[in-house]
Amino acid sequence: MEFEAVIGLEIHIELNCATKLFCDCPNNPGDDANVNTCPVCLWFPGAWPRLSRAALEKAALVCLGLNSEIQPESAFDQKIYYYPDQPKGYQLSQGHLPLARGGWVEITDEDGSIKRLRIHHIHMEEDVARLVHEMDGATPVSLVDFNRAGAPLVEIVTEPDFRTPHHAMEFLKTLRTQVRYVGSSECSMENGTMRADANISIRPVGTNQMNTKVEVKNMNSVRHVGDAIAHEISRQSAAVRVGETIKEHTRLWDPDKKATLPMREKFEAPYIPDPSIPIIEIKPEEIAALRSRLPEMPATRSGRFVKEYGLSAEEAAYLSSEPETASYFEELIRLGVAARTAMHWVSTQLLPALRQRNEGFAHTSVTPKRLSELLAMLAKDEINAAAARDVLSHMFASDVSPADIVKARGLGQVSDTGELAAMVERVLAEQAAAVADFKSGQSKAMGFLIGQVMQASAGKANPKVIKELIAQKLSA
Amino acid sequence: MDSIFSYLNPDASGSATGPLAGIKIAVQPTIGIAGWPARAGSEALAGYLSAGSATVIDRLTQGGAILTGLTHASELGLGIDDTSTSGRAVETKTVHAELMLDMAGEARLSACRGNLWGFKPSWGRVSHTGIAGLIPSMEACGILAQDPATIRSVLKTVAGADDMDFSQPRLDYKEISADEIKPAQFTLSVIGEAATLLSGDERKEFDEEIARLKRYGFNVRTVSWPDYNLCLTVHRIVGSVEASSAAGRYDSVRFGRRAPGTKNWNEMYLQSRGAFFGTLLKSYLIQGAYFQFERYDAYENACRIRARLLKETSRLFEQADSLVFPSQKPAQPVSLDALYEQFKLTAHANVTGCPALYMPSACAGGQGLEFAAGYGADERVIALGEYLHRQRAGGKL
Repeated sequence: MEFEAVIGLEIHIELNCATKLFCDCPNNPGDDANVNTCPVCLWFPGAWPRLSRAALEKAALVCLGLNSEIQPESAFDQKIYYYPDQPKGYQLSQGHLPLARGGWVEITDEDGSIKRLRIHHIHMEEDVARLVHEMDGATPVSLVDFNRAGAPLVEIVTEPDFRTPHHAMEFLKTLRTQVRYVGSSECSMENGTMRADANISIRPVGTNQMNTKVEVKNMNSVRHVGDAIAHEISRQSAAVRVGETIKEHTRLWDPDKKATLPMREKFEAPYIPDPSIPIIEIKPEEIAALRSRLPEMPATRSGRFVKEYGLSAEEAAYLSSEPETASYFEELIRLGVAARTAMHWVSTQLLPALRQRNEGFAHTSVTPKRLSELLAMLAKDEINAAAARDVLSHMFASDVSPADIVKARGLGQVSDTGELAAMVERVLAEQAAAVADFKSGQSKAMGFLIGQVMQASAGKANPKVIKELIAQKLSA
Repeated sequence: MDSIFSYLNPDASGSATGPLAGIKIAVQPTIGIAGWPARAGSEALAGYLSAGSATVIDRLTQGGAILTGLTHASELGLGIDDTSTSGRAVETKTVHAELMLDMAGEARLSACRGNLWGFKPSWGRVSHTGIAGLIPSMEACGILAQDPATIRSVLKTVAGADDMDFSQPRLDYKEISADEIKPAQFTLSVIGEAATLLSGDERKEFDEEIARLKRYGFNVRTVSWPDYNLCLTVHRIVGSVEASSAAGRYDSVRFGRRAPGTKNWNEMYLQSRGAFFGTLLKSYLIQGAYFQFERYDAYENACRIRARLLKETSRLFEQADSLVFPSQKPAQPVSLDALYEQFKLTAHANVTGCPALYMPSACAGGQGLEFAAGYGADERVIALGEYLHRQRAGGKL
């Protein structure tokens, strides 16, 4: 029997707010343990939460960026469960009246078609504290760090529309891009600002059954999500084939063993309304004002890049995948760089160099203005491409203008035909065999000859002029 | 320690100026005062010193009041038992007023016990910040005093919007003085169903109190509120559910005492939680957990009925300036049922959030009356109390 999977995701995103969700403590979980705490986030007796407006706005922007409908009324509940990372015994979450309902994300399926994956709802909640178990000493100790307690989160709960690991991975990538665009979170699974749990069941292909699902946690990269889902589908399929019954429970992904392992029985916590936080009322005009703050979203931007700049769909999607990249690209164009040149240099030179240096657009010394100056020199044949790449590598280390780097390093392109003609004469005389190959119709020999002249010029010759000169000489 | 106070202020001096200059106040240890013990009558909070002062405390001290000390509370302020000294400091005239939580009627019951005036404000009229309660949707900071004018002064000082408490409804509270009370134009509706809960002698006494109101010239009539008795059931379900959550904060790990002899951190946490609560509170919390986990449908129904009760009281107040209820002195709560027996005549105001004023009986040993006003009409019911107090002072019985 052939099986197909029915998969839904629950994704937690930590909002990049300055403060926590219900108090004014800094939202910096990575600081020294327990420095960012107060009676509210420690839930001392008498502490009373105050909802952060900034967090509400950032959460609302996430909802709008994911096409989810913000509800006129939403409210916080107490999700009742106990764990030492949540010693007050309940988590403030939105179980009954979520901030937004519905929504969708579109991905490209494996066959190239566009698939819309629906969102069930989006709600806000507070993060829990972090447990630190120090087991190495003579007496093992367990410590609780409350820096993360009360950090603002949104949880995105999808419909069970996913059928393959590819769907889940593409959904997460697209969602990450869209949330980064609205500026509400960095959405890094590696850094823990985005966490995804998957609910997976299987059914015979062609049926509409909704069978018992298994929850899988502990995936800390998009790749792990795909691997964990693939493993779980195989595991459940094999189990059903030998007559086992799938029981509802929670499993953990073990990236070393590349397997999901049982963790605990599935636990459904009750929700009761929290009286301490008033109902959140959002008026249509407030939603309209928030919507006006949305930037051009990646799909729209990508479509515009194709139309306005003549990029291919793949090139446009690549440049639009990060808002900073897309903005940088457009700034280059505004500064006069040709669209294809800008696309080529951003994608093949700048981005790899930034990655290698672990730099972001916000802090790099290679500003659009400086890169545009370099590319203008290239366009005017003042330097060749090899020299331009060399100059770029030096631009990361200093604020000196590209022109000064060219001058200082003697990288100016030699386009003087008299000077180059002499070099060409000398190379043709030395490379008689290649000349013969070219004359017998082996066009590859031209490339070799150009390379020889470039070498002779120490990389400074204008390859276009060289090619013309060689062609002239050999056709004479 | 003092038989009335669990803690005495070593520096009991107030400001010479301010609306409450010279007024001595006793405080229930559920209300935080920075650096003071805040045990709230529970072993689970033994040794805990309040991290900050409640907004009401800040306002009292800014108003010139003298904080005399902390009383003894029943565990986490729930109910009135023999360990609680609420009302005693006012009764003995050691202080002029006392602040305490009213989650199900405790302030009014304490007033009844001590033959004092006791007031529960509208829900949210007084900031919750810094008050360690159990039933957040029903509790309010109550005020006890020898006369309603003192209650008015204290309320005026502590009430009002607090930026630290977002849950407070933003209402316009109308000032009404006792001079504006015109008995002939003031309708008092006696809730018939409440009167049926009294014993024969109690009923007789209640009828005499009502007759006295009529003699003052008030327009008194008996009305029916068929769902009145559901207030207690709703309170018992919703209150215990909220309490079960709220008490979860007092985990005995971060404050209070930890369970000894446990094998590991998880066991220590699990065993410490609730280990130091008393039997009565524990059974209340277990009841709440039962509704949370096993009978959530009953909790949802209670919430729905509560919404209906709110509408019904609004309708009652369309026909009356104040509702009148009998009162009963609280008996020692030996069980959950006995605890709720204390609340059967008071829980309505906590369920609906309405302000309610207990007026002591004019006769020694009497049970007194409770007046409730519409939500937000706190000053109306206090003005009524002031009017009646004035009548009594003038010898009009």
